[in-house]
Amino acid sequence: MSEARVAVIRAKGFLTSGGDLYQPKIDEMIQRGLKALTAAPEAREGLNQIFAKNDRVGIKINTIGGRKISTRPELSFSLADRLIKSGLQDKNIIIWDRTNRELKEAGYRLTFSSGGLKIFGTDLDGAGYETELVSHLNIGSLFSTIQTNFVTASVSLAILKDHGLAGVTAGMKNYFGSIHNPNKYHDSNCNPYVAELFDTEAVKRKHRLSILDGLIVQYNRGPSFHPQWAEPCGVLVFSRDAVAADYVGWQMIEKLRAKKGLPSLQEDKRAPDYLSTAEKMGLGQANAQKIQIIEDEV
Amino acid sequence: MERRQFFKALAGSSLLLGTKGGGFLGDLVAFQETANLSRVEARYYKKLPDREIECQLCPRNCKLGDKERGYCGVRENIGGTYYTLVYGKACAANIDPIEKKPFFHFLPGTTAFSIATAGCNVNCKFCQNWQISQVRAEQVKPFDLPPQDVVASALKYSCPSIAYTYTEPVVYFEYMYDTSLEARNKGIKNCVVTAGHIHQEPLLDLVKVVDAIKIDLKSFSQDFYKNYVHGDLKPVLEAIQTVRRSKVWLELVYLVIPTLNDDAEGIQQMSRWIKNEVGPDVPLHFSRFQPMYLIQNLPPTPISTLEKVRDVALAEGLHYVYIGNVPGHKAQGTFCPSCRRLIIERDGFRIDRIDLDGGKCKFCRNPIPGIWA
Repeated sequence: MSEARVAVIRAKGFLTSGGDLYQPKIDEMIQRGLKALTAAPEAREGLNQIFAKNDRVGIKINTIGGRKISTRPELSFSLADRLIKSGLQDKNIIIWDRTNRELKEAGYRLTFSSGGLKIFGTDLDGAGYETELVSHLNIGSLFSTIQTNFVTASVSLAILKDHGLAGVTAGMKNYFGSIHNPNKYHDSNCNPYVAELFDTEAVKRKHRLSILDGLIVQYNRGPSFHPQWAEPCGVLVFSRDAVAADYVGWQMIEKLRAKKGLPSLQEDKRAPDYLSTAEKMGLGQANAQKIQIIEDEV
Repeated sequence: MERRQFFKALAGSSLLLGTKGGGFLGDLVAFQETANLSRVEARYYKKLPDREIECQLCPRNCKLGDKERGYCGVRENIGGTYYTLVYGKACAANIDPIEKKPFFHFLPGTTAFSIATAGCNVNCKFCQNWQISQVRAEQVKPFDLPPQDVVASALKYSCPSIAYTYTEPVVYFEYMYDTSLEARNKGIKNCVVTAGHIHQEPLLDLVKVVDAIKIDLKSFSQDFYKNYVHGDLKPVLEAIQTVRRSKVWLELVYLVIPTLNDDAEGIQQMSRWIKNEVGPDVPLHFSRFQPMYLIQNLPPTPISTLEKVRDVALAEGLHYVYIGNVPGHKAQGTFCPSCRRLIIERDGFRIDRIDLDGGKCKFCRNPIPGIWA
């Protein structure tokens, strides 16, 4: 398997004095990340390496945790804007998750106009889940029709956070939100389920890009929001290798935990072993020696 | 569907359920809040610091942060309080022969008003009702059917019992418990069809308000439970013993799956355990497997296999061993263990003849255990 490339973009001053995200800074981070990842001179050209002009792009976000610990709307819109500027049609872009309720609680305004950007959940009347079960290894699930029917290319734009069962939830586990029964896959630290779900045709064939939202990182007692263990880091992680992106995200959380005097996830018996499972399955790199990290600061 | 239509459909005795699905984009009509969820505080859980909780209903002991859902998919931590999302939210309701559950020694020849909500606390790869059991609460379209309406429906349709069935009633414990109380007050009996994956405390409460429990013993092997059920054997065996010690009528079902749990040695061990720990009089039903859900690559259980495992159980000394899902098989009938005469003749879910008199064999007066009226 070839070496993975991961871009880690850091920003200072990404929060306004009121605590909101500073949109120009977010936009700049997105552009820098795409350029660093693809080595293209401009983000637009980088995106053209990843997506075809006629792709229907699903931006799968994670909104289960509510406003304070979900993929931030500023980030989602910034990416959608970049995609449109790269030549994709806005009507072919959807920002989505499981439910409309969770999207709204995370600060998204729902929309599904036929001619424009769409934002809605699988539970929208007319979307829903497939009725045909996908059975793959230990996975037996119904996929969201958004993932199976609408999307031809997928971005996992996931919040990076500690997870009491999985150890870390990031880009790969974000696809738990594309199936009807994620509650069945949290045993054994979500291993091998995260890897095996990613290995399904509906995900693996369509996944093109992982972007981890590490702007404010919940490094302990996740996945719920606890302000005392949430650190403003101002980081975004980009990779086309979903395993490598999550591996780098995991290491960020470990560094934060060490800095705060907390035990490592290994010591806590909840290391994200699904990453090494994914590597063994050939889904990407979970070995630091085989991950090239390009860092930049905005 | 309106309530009126719902009850009309019920009269046709059809299973009512609905999972969401459909085309994409072609029929998007509007944003709808489609979820019909309850928010009734759950029982059997412990509050932990930082708005976390630990569910103590079943052996999974899910520890959940705020906004997280249990393995069952129908109980959620909202702000540090644990809620059942399916109280009074039936996704299936039906008028079934009691033999369909199956109960063979409990009110034979009668009907049970049978209900379910979404959800299950195990994930059997051979689940026969996975479309409603292996889904989250909002993925079915339930009807509002509070306990008093369940009881009213049972009375209206002359059902002497209410069955909590189809999915896993443990996950809708509060709804089942309150309905059972209401039913008991109105002279209706309650029967539960469960995998028995439940903690002792709620089970001990449950046996105070129900009349019969059928437990699916999926195998006598922990490996099987781990790999095919996603649960544990030990708490199920403990549940069987607890029910047996109570005044509640108990029957057991064992789904025989070719090559996975049909070895004679395992059946012998299980039968011996049942005889020693539960007694020889507990009815044991060996049911025929049909390819389903995540096990599509095995054939239906050969009849000869079912007959063989039945012979093993009888040889171990169990008195009432049945074969299920094989209409017309003679082992659907109840034979008196004393005189060996056929005393209840069944054909599918139909009772053709009952030769019992006051709970005794009409021919030799041997007492036959069960709840007969």
